[in-house]
Amino acid sequence: MEQDMQDFAAEVRRFLDAHVTKAPDHTAFTWGEGDDTMAYFSSLPPEEEREHVQRAREWQRIRHENGFGWITGPPEYGGRGLTPVHDLLYDAIESEYDVADTGTLSVIGLGMIGPTILAHAQPRIKDRWLPAMYRGDAIACQLFSEPGAGSDLASVATKAVRDGEDWVLNGQKVWTSVAQHSQIGLALTRTNPDAPKHRGITAFLVPMDAPGVEVRPLRQMTGGADFNEVFLTDVRVPDDHRLGEVDGGWTVALTTLMNERATVGSEGAGPVAAALSPDRLSALMRATWTWDDRALRARLAELLVDAMATEHLNTRALRRLRGGVAPGPEMSVSKLMYGQNLTRAAHFVSDVLGPRVIADTGKWGTYAWSELLLATPALLILGGTEEIMKNILAERVLGLPKEPAVATTKEVRS
Amino acid sequence: MTADESELLELRSSVREFLEAKSPEEAVRKLMESEPRFDPAVWAQAADQLRLPGLVIPEEYGGDGFGPVELGVVLEEMGRALLCAPFFATVVLAAQALLASGDSEACARHLPGIASGRTTATLAVAEDSGSWDPALISARAVPDGGGDGAWRLSGRKAFVIDGTTADLLLVVARTVAGPSLFAVDRRATGLEAEPMETLDATRAMARLTFDAVPATLVGADGAGGRVMAKVLDIATVGLAAEQAGGARRCLETSADYARTRHQFGRPIGSFQAVKHKCADMLVQVELAEAASREAARLAAEGAPDFPVAAAVAHACCSRAYVFAAMENIQVHGGIGFTWEHPAHLYFRRAKSSQLLFGGPAVYHERLLDRLGI
Repeated sequence: MEQDMQDFAAEVRRFLDAHVTKAPDHTAFTWGEGDDTMAYFSSLPPEEEREHVQRAREWQRIRHENGFGWITGPPEYGGRGLTPVHDLLYDAIESEYDVADTGTLSVIGLGMIGPTILAHAQPRIKDRWLPAMYRGDAIACQLFSEPGAGSDLASVATKAVRDGEDWVLNGQKVWTSVAQHSQIGLALTRTNPDAPKHRGITAFLVPMDAPGVEVRPLRQMTGGADFNEVFLTDVRVPDDHRLGEVDGGWTVALTTLMNERATVGSEGAGPVAAALSPDRLSALMRATWTWDDRALRARLAELLVDAMATEHLNTRALRRLRGGVAPGPEMSVSKLMYGQNLTRAAHFVSDVLGPRVIADTGKWGTYAWSELLLATPALLILGGTEEIMKNILAERVLGLPKEPAVATTKEVRS
Repeated sequence: MTADESELLELRSSVREFLEAKSPEEAVRKLMESEPRFDPAVWAQAADQLRLPGLVIPEEYGGDGFGPVELGVVLEEMGRALLCAPFFATVVLAAQALLASGDSEACARHLPGIASGRTTATLAVAEDSGSWDPALISARAVPDGGGDGAWRLSGRKAFVIDGTTADLLLVVARTVAGPSLFAVDRRATGLEAEPMETLDATRAMARLTFDAVPATLVGADGAGGRVMAKVLDIATVGLAAEQAGGARRCLETSADYARTRHQFGRPIGSFQAVKHKCADMLVQVELAEAASREAARLAAEGAPDFPVAAAVAHACCSRAYVFAAMENIQVHGGIGFTWEHPAHLYFRRAKSSQLLFGGPAVYHERLLDRLGI
């Protein structure tokens, strides 16, 4: 296994070296020089965002042409037929290089929806969409969350009603990332309001250009709009676009959620890593004449201990990965700590800056932190709230019993 | 020598098996109230059967020459079992001080006895203030009139682990050249040792009084500060492994109890308030293990970031263990507060380990200092 991994890693590096260059070190910096942006959400103007998506599609096409477009996928759909560990290893190595951010395509579409289509869609649909997705031509979004179905996803209320060879969908989806760029969306709908809530759901692949699909940007508390609301009004979807059985959509949803991949190493490399860099934080304390404040120093030390211990956790997972061992619970811990560490960093820096973070003095590296400060609450919600993550850790890792289920359809019907 | 992953697993399971047999809770409770605070027969078996005292002592001095990673595995298991033994003081403090001194003559004289388990030893640095900062030491050593490299040591030491039983004492005392390391025989005249009452009875501590006690200089005169900086990095990482092992044990005990204890007709672990306590403990334990194991690995590689990693491990594992030991009592509720339940033994060990080398105020500054902040 280890030899196989080394060969694969070498092949990945040959490919990357031939096409791109190594990424700059985001943690090295000099106070007052360069970009002082400190943001989690991109919030680009529409024009720039379209270019960004175009670059992502192009890089995905190059990956695909070189055999890295769908590392775990079956060869008949353009995949490579390798293991999830190979996939994670590819990501970890690629994160060392300066490549286009393909998150728009990969996080939801290629990472979660592609495997779901592969497992549950009819052959014609697989032929139509899978190669297109992994070639970078089609982007997919996840039409799961609703205003009334957040952590409790199984209480979705968007209706799908059979009409001849079609289904007619009506309802509202929310927090839909990349919907504005998507060609298809995987929707969970209520097809049987009388069954227990997990057994009355059906999944459909919805062409996003179908009449009745309306995508509206959702402005989040930072001021930008990185998500969408998607309204479905009498949207007609042919029955062959159904995934899984009628009323069997929960199984389909679980496939999607189980493919929510642990990313190893890549989170530590982005510009956000700068927020936890000891050099940057110490320079900030010097620039604000606070380096000898004992209370702030103690908080800084605690923050750095957590940030560096989390980094050690990632390093160790990455090392095991190179030896062919899939990540264990440490990746859920790492996700939890990532949100907590960035939140604490943003608040620590704000407290160091004082009034300079509530009004812009024009000074480099000060008010710029307000963007991250406003983004951090999301880090403890998206991809599973902190409470849900803790349930998962306690139930799956420690084997603690689930809360007794209250199976009812009343909440769904109302 | 370096063990690979499967050898480390084997080492862990053989040490765990040994400790489950030789250091069950009843044995720990008995030894807590005995003098000496360890079982000499078990110590001899640890030496003869598992060769533990010599594990990390170089082969040239009669040991097996393994490194910090293997030591970490053993210490995690000892911390988990709350083993009462002279291992930490002898192997982690004293032997490392001898090695860090670079004094090959002193190493050749003392390390083979330590490696075989015949000699127990300790390191006496702190005085009444409890600080391990060599700059704050007032014990003094002066050259003996005889002139053959012999010295006389006077002053007081406190918080000396196994101070009443260790055969060999390594003592930091001030000379005109600055803090320096000395070796003192426990039977030397002018030395008095009295046990201190301790929060954690599984780790014996003593106050030592030196009155012109014959001592031998170890390493260069005035080099004690440099030696101590090195020893503290290794010792805090060793302690971190013990802490990670103890914290993991508290987590396991809590999760077991939360699965089986019923209230309101349900296992208490099905209530989110309890479940999330356990998840929080898991997070702390995973971080602690990563921090301590990664620091050990960097030590083994002689990596330049080892001192930073050592400071991170010390802070992270100290906090994790105290947190896990406290939450363990809360998950258990009333039964966890009884004398008969082992939870308080872990609480005592956790709190006293956290504060052994100075506590948060000291270790936070040590980290910032290592980062140049």
